[in-house]
This record gives sequence, C-alpha cells and structure tokens, in this order.
Amino acid sequence: MKLSTKLTLFISGSKLAIVGLFILLLPFLIRQIASNYTNFSLRSQQKKVIRNINSKGINYYLEGEDNYGSYTMLKDEYIALEIAAPDYKIDIIRDTKRIVEQDTIAYRVLSFTFHQNNKNYLLEIGKTNASINLYNAALQRFALYVLIILIALSIIIDLIFTRQLIKPLGQIIKLRLANTRFPFKKNRKNIQTTTQDFKYLDRSLISLMDQINEAFEKEREFTANASHEFMTPISILQNKMENLLTEELEPETIQEHIVDMMKTLERLKKISRALLLISRIENEQFSKQDQVEPKNLLNELVEEISHRLEEKNIHIEIDLKHNKIITCTNHDLLFQLFYNLVNNAIKFNRENGQILISDQVEKDSYSIQVSDNGQGIEPTEIPYIFDRFKKTGQAENTGYGLGLAIVKSIANYLNLHIKIDSAPGEGTRFKINF
Amino acid sequence: MKVLIIEDEKTLAYELEKFLRKAFFLCDLAHSFKQGAEKLELNQYDYILIDLGLPDGNGFDLLKKAKKSNPDAAYIILTARGKLEDRVAGLDMGADDYLAKPFFLPELQSRMQAIARRKFKVSEELLPLGLFNIDLQKRFVFFENEQIELSRKEFDLLSYLLLHKNRVLTRIQLSEHIWGNFADDDYDSNYIDAHIKNIRKKLNIYAPTEWLETVRGVGYRIRK
Repeated sequence: MKLSTKLTLFISGSKLAIVGLFILLLPFLIRQIASNYTNFSLRSQQKKVIRNINSKGINYYLEGEDNYGSYTMLKDEYIALEIAAPDYKIDIIRDTKRIVEQDTIAYRVLSFTFHQNNKNYLLEIGKTNASINLYNAALQRFALYVLIILIALSIIIDLIFTRQLIKPLGQIIKLRLANTRFPFKKNRKNIQTTTQDFKYLDRSLISLMDQINEAFEKEREFTANASHEFMTPISILQNKMENLLTEELEPETIQEHIVDMMKTLERLKKISRALLLISRIENEQFSKQDQVEPKNLLNELVEEISHRLEEKNIHIEIDLKHNKIITCTNHDLLFQLFYNLVNNAIKFNRENGQILISDQVEKDSYSIQVSDNGQGIEPTEIPYIFDRFKKTGQAENTGYGLGLAIVKSIANYLNLHIKIDSAPGEGTRFKINF
Repeated sequence: MKVLIIEDEKTLAYELEKFLRKAFFLCDLAHSFKQGAEKLELNQYDYILIDLGLPDGNGFDLLKKAKKSNPDAAYIILTARGKLEDRVAGLDMGADDYLAKPFFLPELQSRMQAIARRKFKVSEELLPLGLFNIDLQKRFVFFENEQIELSRKEFDLLSYLLLHKNRVLTRIQLSEHIWGNFADDDYDSNYIDAHIKNIRKKLNIYAPTEWLETVRGVGYRIRK
C-alpha cells in the first residue's frame, strides 16, 4: 500500500473514531453542561436574592408575612422564602420533588439557610428538571452538525497537506529508485523540499548512487587495465613457445608439453580478450549506427559455426517470418551476441539435437528467440547464468563462463531485453526483445 | 626482404626477429620511438612493424614520419590496445595491416605475405603441392586440369599450411587463423582434425596426400 493511501486511511479513520466516540458521549456531555449551567444559574439567583435582602431588608420579599413564594407561569421555576427552625442549617443543590398546586413536579432545588433579624430563614430556588433538559436535543443536533462539518473540513485540509508533504517522497522514488538502470545516469538535481528528512534521504540516495557508480567505474577500469596489461606478457610467452616449437626439440614429448602450455596460455588469452571485450562494451567504445538484417546475420553465423554443429550433428533451423531491419545497432556486437547464444545452445545440447531460431512481432516489439532441446538449466541457476565466471554445476564442459556475461553486456549496451525460459532436460529458450 | 621491428618490449622483439629470420627475412630492431626514427632515416625497409605503445612517443606519429622516409614499405601495426578506432586510424594513415597482440607468429607471416602479393605484385602463378596445383588468388585446387571443390574453410586451412610449409602448425594456431576471435573455448575440440580429414578424403581420390603430415600431439605440417 502506498504511503499516501495509508496516511489517508489513517487520518480519516482516526478522525471518524474520535467523532464516533464524541457522538456517543454527546448526550451525557450536554446533560452535564445543562446541569452545571442550571446549578450556576441557581447560585446566581441565590446571590441576587441575598443581595436584595441585604440592601432592601427581608421585608422586600416577605412584605410583613412569614413566608414568600412565587412561581413562573408554567411552574418551571419557583422561589420560596420561609422561617426555619433556629438551628436548621443547609446549603445544597439536589434533585427532589415538590407538590405544586396538586402537581408533583421534579425540581432541581437549591436550599439555603441564612440568619436575618435574629431569625433563621430557608431560601429555596427550584427549576423543573424538564426545563433543564429542554434544549438538550437541539443542542446535540447542532453540535453534531458543526462537528461533522469541522471534521470533513479538517480531513480535506489534512489530505491536501499530507499530499503536499509527501510529494517529494514520490519524486525521490520516481527519480532515484523506480526505472533507474545501472549505471545510474548523472541526475544531480536535488528534489525541491523543505522537509529535512526528505532532503537527507535524497542526499543519501545520491551519495549512495555515486558510491555505486564509483565502485563500478573502478571495477570497469580495473578490468580494462588488467586484461589489457595481460596482453603483452601473454604475447611474449606465446611467441616464445611458438619459436620453441619450430626448433624440432628431442624428444618429441617436449613438443607435446609445449603444445599443452600453449593451450593453457590460449585459455588465459581468451579470458583476457573476453574481459577486454566486456570492458570495451561497458565503456561504450562501439558505434550504434549499423543497420542489420537478422536473416543475413544469422545465415552468416550458421556458416561460421557450422563446424560445431556438425561435430554434434545438430540440426539448426532459422525460421524468420518478418523481414525486419534492425537500426541503430552494432553488427559485430549483435553477431557476437547471437554467436554466443547459439554456441551455448550447441555446447549444452546433445547429439542429434535441435536448435530453432524464430522471430515474433508482439505489440510493436520485435523479438528473436533461440531455443534448443538440450540439457536445460536448473531454476536455481537461472539468476546467475549471466554472472562472470559463474559455472553451472551440472555441466562439465562449461569453458571459462564469460559467454553469457558478454551477451548481457551487449544487451545492456544495445538496449535489448533478454528473457530466458528453461526446463532441465527439455531445453532452453533465450528471447531477445528489440 | 628487410624488416624493421619497432617494439619496446625487448623479449617480444627478439622472438619476432627469431621467427622472421627463420623465414629468411633480414631483421633490424628498434626499442623506442627515437631509435625507430633514426633507423628509418638511415635505411630503407620492405616491412615495418610498429608497436603503437612506445614509451617515448606515439606510434601513429612514427608511422607518419616513416611514411615520408620509407614510402614504399609495407606497414603493419602491432598493438596490445586492440581498439577499433586504433585500427581504423592506423589503416587511414596508410598502414597495410593491423594485428592485435597477442597474435600467432605464422599469422604475422601470412599477413606479410598477403601484403606482398597485393603491394609488391609478387604473384606466384600456381603453387605445386605434390601432384596438385594451388591458385592462392582464385582459391582453386587443381589436379592436372581438373578443379577440386573444397569448402572455404578447407581451402583456408590448406593454403595456410602451404604458406608455412615445413613448419608444424598447432591446432590452436590453425583455428585462430580460420575462426579468428570466434575460435572456440573448447580446446580439445576436434574440428580442425575433421577438416583435415575432409581435405585428405577429397584429394585422395585423385592422388596421395602424404605431404600433409599429422605431427602427433602437436598439429599438422605440409612437407615439401
């Protein structure tokens, strides 16, 4: 799952969870608020009454009588003032019931005693519970609407912001990681971002890629230099042996030893040449301006390799149906690529085996397949067959193991895609996509 | 025929000299740009072999210089670099051939002979070989007046052996001449033997081929 999707889901989910919780708690909260507010309003009414009594005297209410009572019209609120027992003392707010004109009504009542003119008075201020909770439903609904709008707004803002925030990450992935082919092209433009972490990530990736490039460059240089430097000493040894060979040395076994030494030296020469070829391809020392007709190229190849085919009595069939011309390529490299593939198809084939070279056009892409019915490759070996000097365990006669490494570097250089299918005991198919 | 070998690697130069002397060339050695330039001023040569990587100068510059003092000589560039551009540049500057090190000595000689045929118009008519005659230019083998069909590779093999008559050529030397860089990495492969067998079979119909000898454990030789 993408990071932006995850963030979206998380933000929306967490907000909805909080809203859900809030909605569940809302009735309780509203009731709590209403109750607190009622208490507060009872208290402030009490203060008002006491203030009036202090300034205007108790008769302001009692008007000479022993008690005083007053109701609002719908009996929502009432106030009562009466003389209480001298040592009666109370100051609470509680829910209780009062009978008012034959109706029993639930009230929130503030009861408070105070002394005035040496008498103990009890003040009661009441508010019906019904009136306390009168606005709860409307309040709840209103709060809910506001909440939903706020949440929606905040989710939208969050999404826009996070999208903006992680945009550099997407750019880093696109520019540095996805679809980058080795060796990495020099694309040293830093990602524009103010986020320190992304800057750091981008810088680290660039420096990492630089390090890889540098290591690769060094390896390439080393391969080129080493294989090149081998040539002169090999040359000297080889020519010395050739001259020795013409000296008709006695006994004859000495000559045979020299030939054996030449064979070994030949091997060293081939390895150096192959490495030199790989490093030349990697250093892009070949032009890409040739036009090649696969049919001609492959016929040329079969003629070149016919002696190997005859040796194992292998039947080769070239079945090209499309008269395609490959442009912007290098004839020699392409030849080498197919030569190595066919050579492998022979090497790992059996007596009287078959090799088929055919072509295909699918969705504007042209491909040539080289398939054989030889010994095939174990699935576990397939990832390594293009590695240098990798020898597959099953074959004794693998040579020096650079043939497919050359194929790979040619394919990389000419932008060809190689696909390999193989089943042990049944054969191998290399598909080259142009 | 006089040959100047300009090669800074002394051991290699001596081996080249040793080989070419046996093939009846007169050899002169130069181990640096300076020595080479001096010898080119003083003497005229038929062949000049130039190593491109000289310690005190560029082989190409020496080639340019040599072309002035020895305009008629045949030039062969020897190099360990083996870059395609070098080959093109060398041939553009008037070199007659180009050999990447390491090369086999018979290969050098056959290149020199090929240049001689081309440049000095040394055209052997028909080369006799036992009771057969060989036309190297037109690539035919004749028995009396009858033309014998050999495949391209078979003819290459036969003419290469003939060019180096009385010398044993190993299978590696032969296969590299015929298949060049594509020569295979399977050393015990017997395809050279198969080709020799075919040549013998085709020629034996007409006359014996005892001149084509197998040298056990080494290779083949044409003895004349």
